[in-house]
Amino acid sequence: MELLLLTNINGKAYAMNAITPMKRWKTPILWLIFFILGAIKPLQSALKNLSFIHFARWVIVKHNQFPHLDPKQPAEDLQYDYLIFFSNFNGTWNEYIDAFSAVLSKGLNTIWRWSEKFPGSVPVTPFKTYIGQVQFDTDYYYNAYPRASTNDVKAALRVQDAFNAFAENSKNLSPAEFEKAYLEFLVQVQADLGSTGMAPVGT
Amino acid sequence: MANQSGQIYGLTILAPILGEDDHLDIGHATAVRWYLAGLPQDHTGPFAKISSTHFCRLVVMDDVVFVGSPAREEHLKSRYLVFESNFDGDLDTYLTRMAREIPDLVDAVWKHCVGYPGVADPAAFAAYMKKCQITTTFFFADVNNKTVDQTLKALQVQSDVSHFIAKNQGKPAVELQSAFRILLERMTKAPAPLRGGKDSEKTAAEDRPYDH
Amino acid sequence: MTTSTKIDAMKIDATKIDTTKIDVTDIQGFVLKGYNFPLARYLLLELGHPEAAQKFIAQTVQYLTTGERWSAKPATTVNIAFTFNGLAKLELPAPTLDSFPVEFQQGMRARGEILYDTGKNAPEHWDPVWREDRVHVWLAVNAQNQAALDQRCDLLLQIATQTGGAKLLQAQDACATYVDGHPKEHFGYSDGFGNPDFKGADRKCTPGQGKLTENGTWEALATGEFLLGYADESGELPVAPIPHLLARNGTFMVYRKMHQNVAMFRTFLEEQGRLYPGGKEKLASKFVGRWRDGTPVEISPDQMDPDLVKDNNHNTDFTYGKDLSGLRCPIGAHIRRGNPRDSFGFNGDLVNRRRIMRRGLPYGKYAEENEAVQDQDEHGVIFIALNASIFRQFEFVQQQWIEYGNDLHQGNDKDLIIGNHGGKGKSVMQGTADPKNPPFICASLPNFVELRGGDYFFMPSLTALQMMASGTVDPR
Repeated sequence: MELLLLTNINGKAYAMNAITPMKRWKTPILWLIFFILGAIKPLQSALKNLSFIHFARWVIVKHNQFPHLDPKQPAEDLQYDYLIFFSNFNGTWNEYIDAFSAVLSKGLNTIWRWSEKFPGSVPVTPFKTYIGQVQFDTDYYYNAYPRASTNDVKAALRVQDAFNAFAENSKNLSPAEFEKAYLEFLVQVQADLGSTGMAPVGT
Repeated sequence: MANQSGQIYGLTILAPILGEDDHLDIGHATAVRWYLAGLPQDHTGPFAKISSTHFCRLVVMDDVVFVGSPAREEHLKSRYLVFESNFDGDLDTYLTRMAREIPDLVDAVWKHCVGYPGVADPAAFAAYMKKCQITTTFFFADVNNKTVDQTLKALQVQSDVSHFIAKNQGKPAVELQSAFRILLERMTKAPAPLRGGKDSEKTAAEDRPYDH
Repeated sequence: MTTSTKIDAMKIDATKIDTTKIDVTDIQGFVLKGYNFPLARYLLLELGHPEAAQKFIAQTVQYLTTGERWSAKPATTVNIAFTFNGLAKLELPAPTLDSFPVEFQQGMRARGEILYDTGKNAPEHWDPVWREDRVHVWLAVNAQNQAALDQRCDLLLQIATQTGGAKLLQAQDACATYVDGHPKEHFGYSDGFGNPDFKGADRKCTPGQGKLTENGTWEALATGEFLLGYADESGELPVAPIPHLLARNGTFMVYRKMHQNVAMFRTFLEEQGRLYPGGKEKLASKFVGRWRDGTPVEISPDQMDPDLVKDNNHNTDFTYGKDLSGLRCPIGAHIRRGNPRDSFGFNGDLVNRRRIMRRGLPYGKYAEENEAVQDQDEHGVIFIALNASIFRQFEFVQQQWIEYGNDLHQGNDKDLIIGNHGGKGKSVMQGTADPKNPPFICASLPNFVELRGGDYFFMPSLTALQMMASGTVDPR
């Protein structure tokens, strides 16, 4: 049986899990913040512009919301509510946190300031120490397209759209007309032709 | 709806793991970990079969974290098996497919969890999973309107187009046009790219990634 | 204080703190100045026993060039740096050695997987001196002329012999052929543009060399990006070895001997230049992002501009924000990879902590275009970079922006000129629908540049050197 050693990584994606405790009275505030963020979408657009997360989610699990399915299962008896964060991101762990600290610090602080002992996302060294404390490792990670980052995916979708349109529109062109249309097609897709493949080694 | 972004569903499951028992050879949590450590991550792995899965993970969460004084130290009474999945379509279909198409994995993992009803009855399994489901509070999906297969197909097209352009650079119009027609034909006949990639590709030199 | 005000108070705005007073006499001149001398010799030394080595350092320090202002340029300069093995040979206290960054402790050879120093760039192809662990000291003499160079090197080697403190392993010569005030490297490109400006360097901020401000002007970067002991761009003092006095005013240096396959490049450029409608020189400009005379492509994509090249207030003053499609300067061009400026949005904030100070020189005799060359000829660049954090700055740029392209939205495509292609891979040069300026792909790329060795060094301050020379490094 061959054991997986790098379980947090699959291809170009890294599976991060982090759990932080929150005093109960802070939970509704965070819930409201997420609600507002979800409605106004500034966080969504900043994340899209950073463009290295495939999917990410925050999950608030209140002290009494851990599933209890059987009387024989001991009931949880927790003081704190918990914020769990899951991310599927591209790039190394260090690059990811450096980037968030550099350009999304306000957004990060808005979400994590309610967690106990959060040091702020700037400066970056205590922030990385904190994340190292609250992160827990993935045991199994599946990635349907491991050789593609989210940039690769978006580029590919653009190329496909342009290609389909070009293939359709160029069906009955003369060679000279085709050549001209092809050049225009090239210009359309020329920024999106990066090869896919393996990610650099995680650091 | 918080669990959804566009066409993508974000599923978060926390299933309590059965308690440790002196009669057991290996504890439940350890057994799950060891099982997961031996699973292939690529197209031969179980989730490649559940074709709507973009990304998913299984994590044995041992405990909450003590971040240090003055925060209080506390502990969970059970460990939890976390299942986080990002997939196309609706939840019931997904859970039913898991029960029907990858029963071995489902059994091997969730048999270590409290209240697991087995996979023989997909509806019962789905109901169980929903009891363990936690609503996602905020879900971000960079691309939320393409299925897994659409994504893989686009990646294949991108690769083929890129190679075509390089190979036919500078060719006269007539040749270019006929080469393009051949490309179109080849692309329509090409088999679907492998979901989950190939583990061997992770050590092989970089090459045309989605060739067959 | 509530949690929120605590968090805000801890955020130091490095740009507002006045750190512009740096003690230039304590800092080695090599960090603060590009000397722009025509000749250099890098003496690679192995240290002897600690007592003898200390004597060697004590005597050598007397000749060391600091950052003090020159009324007239001296005939030679002397600077020194140490590998981790060198510091260990000096028997610095264990807690001090342990406190050095991991990448420095491991040394460059061990970091090969991270840096893509594999295949043709792997250590088995390196000069023998770099394949062992005996290089302890880099002792560099820059000189105005050959006589001065030889004399100074002789003197230093005499000190080494007389004290028994160091032994010469290899002397690496370097020299620059200057054309119109800029050194030419062997592929024919004028080099030496665009080093970063940082606060306290006592130099006017050259437009384009610092970081972008919100209103589009340029500002010097935080000192701590290039010197230990000062606040860096993220609002903290960079992680540094202990004691403070050992680290302060010091920095880290990356040394890489990069062989250039001049014949291969010339052939490639000829062939591809014939296929490219814009012609050979324009294609060469697209590879790098500067025409071979130094004209920046982003400002002048269609022709060389000799006046612009000579104008230091303008020859680096450009951004890519209006050229995200790469129509002027290709997205994957060499200088755009090395310093993406505002290409990633966020006003360049993702780039400010990834800058490196380049101080290298070419080596080998420059061959004119009409001279015959072979790939085996001694032609290359001694690439030298200075930064406060090798891991965060040099290694990051090398791994993520040179040998990979995701941040630039170029997938796995590598830098055309220096990438470790292994015969595969490609580079796309974006163009327009004008058939004279079309998109162009170069594929099946060979290794124009091959790594022949190098390592990571610590370049201490004068104070630190005195401590090392007298054995008074005390970790706490």
